[in-house]
Amino acid sequence: MKCVVCGRDAKEQYCKFHDRARNNVIHKFAYWQRVTGLSWKEYLKAVVENSYTGAWAKEIAEHLLNNKDE
Amino acid sequence: MPPKSSKEMTNTVPEPIVTEKCQNYTLIVTEKPDVAKRIAYALDRNGKPKHLKKNGVPYFVVQRDRLLLIIPAIGHLYTIVQEKGKRSIYPVFNFKWVPRHLAERKAKGTRKWIETFSELSQGADEFISACDYDLEGSLIGYFILKYACGGKEDIAKRMKFSTLMKDELEKAYEEPIKHLNFAWIESGRTRHEVDWLYGINLSRALTAAVKYWSGRYFTLSTGRVQGPTLQFLAAREKAIRSFVPIPYWQLSADVEIQNSIVNAEYEKPHVETRAEAEAVLQACNGKTGEIKNFDVKTIYQKSPIPFDVGTLQREAYKIFGYTPRRTLLIAQNLYLDVLISYPRTDSQKLPSNIGYRKILKALSRKFEYKQLASKLLEKDCLKPREGIKEDPAHPSIYPTGNLPEKPLGIPEKRIWDLIVRRFMAAFGEDAQKENINAILDVNRYAFFLKGRRILKEGWMLFYKPYIRTQEIFLPPLKIGDFVWMRRVTLQDKFTCPPPHYNHSSLLKKMEQLGIGTKATRGEIIQTLFNRGYVMDQSIVVTELGFNIIDVLENYSSNVVSALLTKELEEKMEQIQNGTMKRETVLAEVIEQLKLQIAHFKENEESIGEALTIAIKKAKTEELLIGKCPKCGTGKLVIITSRKTKKRFIGCTNYFNKLCEISFPLPQYGTVKPAKNKCKACSWPTVLVWLKSKKPWNLCFNPSCLLKNGKRIKQ
Repeated sequence: MKCVVCGRDAKEQYCKFHDRARNNVIHKFAYWQRVTGLSWKEYLKAVVENSYTGAWAKEIAEHLLNNKDE
Repeated sequence: MPPKSSKEMTNTVPEPIVTEKCQNYTLIVTEKPDVAKRIAYALDRNGKPKHLKKNGVPYFVVQRDRLLLIIPAIGHLYTIVQEKGKRSIYPVFNFKWVPRHLAERKAKGTRKWIETFSELSQGADEFISACDYDLEGSLIGYFILKYACGGKEDIAKRMKFSTLMKDELEKAYEEPIKHLNFAWIESGRTRHEVDWLYGINLSRALTAAVKYWSGRYFTLSTGRVQGPTLQFLAAREKAIRSFVPIPYWQLSADVEIQNSIVNAEYEKPHVETRAEAEAVLQACNGKTGEIKNFDVKTIYQKSPIPFDVGTLQREAYKIFGYTPRRTLLIAQNLYLDVLISYPRTDSQKLPSNIGYRKILKALSRKFEYKQLASKLLEKDCLKPREGIKEDPAHPSIYPTGNLPEKPLGIPEKRIWDLIVRRFMAAFGEDAQKENINAILDVNRYAFFLKGRRILKEGWMLFYKPYIRTQEIFLPPLKIGDFVWMRRVTLQDKFTCPPPHYNHSSLLKKMEQLGIGTKATRGEIIQTLFNRGYVMDQSIVVTELGFNIIDVLENYSSNVVSALLTKELEEKMEQIQNGTMKRETVLAEVIEQLKLQIAHFKENEESIGEALTIAIKKAKTEELLIGKCPKCGTGKLVIITSRKTKKRFIGCTNYFNKLCEISFPLPQYGTVKPAKNKCKACSWPTVLVWLKSKKPWNLCFNPSCLLKNGKRIKQ
């Protein structure tokens, strides 16, 4: 199976790099929501636009934004 | 003093006077020609040794209590090779030491050096190794004495010196160590052999896997030190790439006190919510505050410890941006010029027998150091501050007191100055600083006011150009004073990802984990760059680097573990102390490698596939210039036409018949994508190198304002 974001080999939907980044993105949402009150979508947008966000985290956030089923 | 130019040297004596037939002389082996020259001039009775050449190899004839022949090597003249079998097969556990010219194409020239040692050792009845006094130097001298000189290692003596100063060299010659240090030699030899076993087997396994899958040859390498180094670089890179920042808010204020404006920070450096931060802002902006408390602390800052090689390399990177490898090369040149002591040392100690006063007096001949040195010389007792680390072979790096005979290049001048000032600073008194912390109460919110000033420079006087301390002056304060919060500022902030390693922090990490040696760490970092596993000053791991680590973690996990290399280092030390045998270590390594290689072989196909994809991606990235300005979806790449062999820039969408844009490129020299965008049109640029010309950035946009042959100077 290939990673839906980068095409690397993956056991499930994401390769291990993007899986780690995805966990990070999901895990940090609760904090963001508490301190900023942003919705999930707004949060993802903010993560994508932030210059400190890592490349893989950005790719995952973009992917989650564009895939409503996630 | 030795002559300055080689021309002057070679003209001194036209013909050799020592031949194979001459008898009863002492043969002294050195590691490098420059060291041979220094020793020859130091030991010759009249300071005029004869400089001769045999087969183009320089050597010196010295008259002293007896005739001395000083012959230099050019580093290692012997190396390890596979004993039998093809070069491409693995595993390989049979090896032997052979002359380098038989093993390496590039080392053909070393043949005549070995022949010269062989011929000139015929009439010698006494042998001395004067190679660098460390593991590598001991090994270099040992192999020359054993193989080139025909088994003279057992009767050879050892000169021990830390600088190339005349008196030290004379003492080292007059009072040599009676035997070579065989424990060191055994340890150095084992290190080479273990590194060779790991390097050759794992590198061949990686290369063979790629060949198996793609049918193409591509050089890949890893090793006992390279692996763990790349592993923790990759771990940091993963943390950076997966990083999600979290927001916080920060409040600071311009505070007016007695007609001067100073900066104050809100008590919480990270305010969790914007609402909380705004509440503080509303309550404090433009209001009056009161100084509730303040305390003044005097801090005594001890002088820095003298340089060992690692701290010198880190400091040089921090101050001048020199890579560790470059710093070591510069320091090596300074050592050969007798300006500093031996740089490859772990010691942070400055023994008194180096003669502190003598060195300082000598340094005071230079205008820049005159006042500083005199200040130290006024002291009744000179006692440097020292670190904990010791090195049995050499003291820490210190200036010899000699002044440069010829003007130094800028890098050499900088490193020498750094070493001189660090040496002097080590004798300096504690610096005395005053830290003032005041607490302002504004509507029950607390702000901190911080001041800092230097009361007594102490050692900082000597190390001034390299200190980055900023003083913050506060007006006189007392409790109960009222201040005006002129402007409170609220800033949106985000947490930052961990920083990338740079050469300096990477070196420190390697030292902390105990991987590599003081002499090899710089080289290992360079190899990672050369192989394309990492790039940039702030070290970024490439796709290829990630894949190499991935493969190694999956199929040979202990080779990327810092634990393995640390354990091996401990074993090397045990060999050095005589508590472990070389054969035991080698047998253990071979056993471990057998298991790993078997696992590798079983998975050769999948490893080959992963690495081939990574190599292809890396190669494409090397040629990738940027987004196509015409179609917007394709990417511009440097393409070489199979038909015409000419290169140009084209769009990746050309292959899908979506975009036909192309730009011409120079057909000579090297062209690769540049990082900078064009200053005029913001298009991506390419970097062009022509032989013996400075590289320049070329904008390939035909309508760029800077066109008409104008080059954008780098």
